Amino acid sequence: MNAPDRYERFVVPEGTKKVSYERDTKIVNAASFTIEREDHTIGNILRMQLHRDPNVLFAGYKLPHPLQYKIIVRIHTTSQSSPTQAYNQAIDDLDKELQHLKKAFESGFMLLQSVVEEERRKNKKIIWFKTQEHDALCAVL
Amino acid sequence: GGGGGGGGGASYQRFPKVRIRELRDEYAKFELRETDASVANALRRVMLAEVPTVAIDLVEVEVNSSVLNDEFIAHRLGLVPLTSDAAMAMRFSRDCDACDGDGQCEYCSVEFHLAVRCDADQTLDVTSADLRSTDPKVCPVDVARALDADPTSYDSTAADQRGIIIVKLRRGQELRLRAIARKGIGKDHAKWSPAATVTFMYEPSIHINEEMMETLTLEEKSSWVESSPTKVFDIDPNTQQVVVIDPEAYTYDDEVIKKAEAMGKPGLVEIYPKEDSFIFTVESTGAIKASQLVINAIEVLRQKLDAVRLQEDTDLGELSAHLHGGG
Repeated sequence: MNAPDRYERFVVPEGTKKVSYERDTKIVNAASFTIEREDHTIGNILRMQLHRDPNVLFAGYKLPHPLQYKIIVRIHTTSQSSPTQAYNQAIDDLDKELQHLKKAFESGFMLLQSVVEEERRKNKKIIWFKTQEHDALCAVL
Repeated sequence: GGGGGGGGGASYQRFPKVRIRELRDEYAKFELRETDASVANALRRVMLAEVPTVAIDLVEVEVNSSVLNDEFIAHRLGLVPLTSDAAMAMRFSRDCDACDGDGQCEYCSVEFHLAVRCDADQTLDVTSADLRSTDPKVCPVDVARALDADPTSYDSTAADQRGIIIVKLRRGQELRLRAIARKGIGKDHAKWSPAATVTFMYEPSIHINEEMMETLTLEEKSSWVESSPTKVFDIDPNTQQVVVIDPEAYTYDDEVIKKAEAMGKPGLVEIYPKEDSFIFTVESTGAIKASQLVINAIEVLRQKLDAVRLQEDTDLGELSAHLHGGG
């Protein structure tokens, strides 16, 4: 009856910012980033990527409540860097890693496909076969 | 090395390695190396809940004299997996401006019709094969597969090509309806999830202390080998040595370690997970191919990351959002 709409979980409400940033009042180079409508998927990869940065003294995230669809990422850096710089760097690095990963998968899948077709042309078996459970042809390397 | 954004800081990027072991339309098994569990888990989570597909979301029932009520049938229709290769490029109905959000235009929806009436004494199965799509790209996956295998011999009454049963009708009963399929994600409702299962495990590294192992009698060796609930170890019939035959069968159950301790041989075997090496299995519902599911998951994750970038000039950002949104 009064259940919130399911899309509340992933649609940022109008007038709300996806990411807001608040500097710590007591510690220099420390800040909290509130990310709306995100969860552990983004929170944890950001945190782990931030840990790879030697200028990051602390990086952590929390999901304050399962029914509040936001995460808070807290970053504390050395004076060589700043929370925003570390945050941007982490996103850039993760994006490049994923770009690399996508290419690796695409070439992997393509290579497999071409090997399979080559073998089929040479009329060897082994690589393509029909299983009992699956009607589709199987490729096994 | 060097370079990169974020104000000229050094890059701490990784270059993960991939090895595909097995690939079928609806199944993939691969190794992912040189990255950490956060990335592996993010990929798993996105595959399960955030890669879009198309599923029936709105049903208008015209006639239903079957034994199942309208809602029950609507729910069952929603769960039928539909071919979703076009889903990545489709629009979500909620942000489609071609149909003012009523979600019934060609950019964000596909219409289905179903009209079945039983006039025989035999029970009639209403199946996914009875759904008539207005877009040939989007249809129930089992129908698509049967047509793909051999379009000439497609027979919807054959036992192995019967389709997914929606309801059964007896003489005089009828079902007539119109259904709208929309793009969605598993986070909204599980019917939109393209994944049947996605799992990953750490690759185990197993080291047997050969010196200590040789102090065991053959009986002791075999009782130790048998203590593992899965077949990880075996005894070489020629050399009578304990060998690892399938490291990936190990379920991190610690049974062989406990057994070694109970035998008074602590440290007989050392097993640790390789922290940067994962073995994935991906099973798709058939809505998209398993290989495409992996690729789409990476793309969705990139889009999510892009969305959480800090807006340099927030005022300008809001102004342009206002101009675009208000248009």
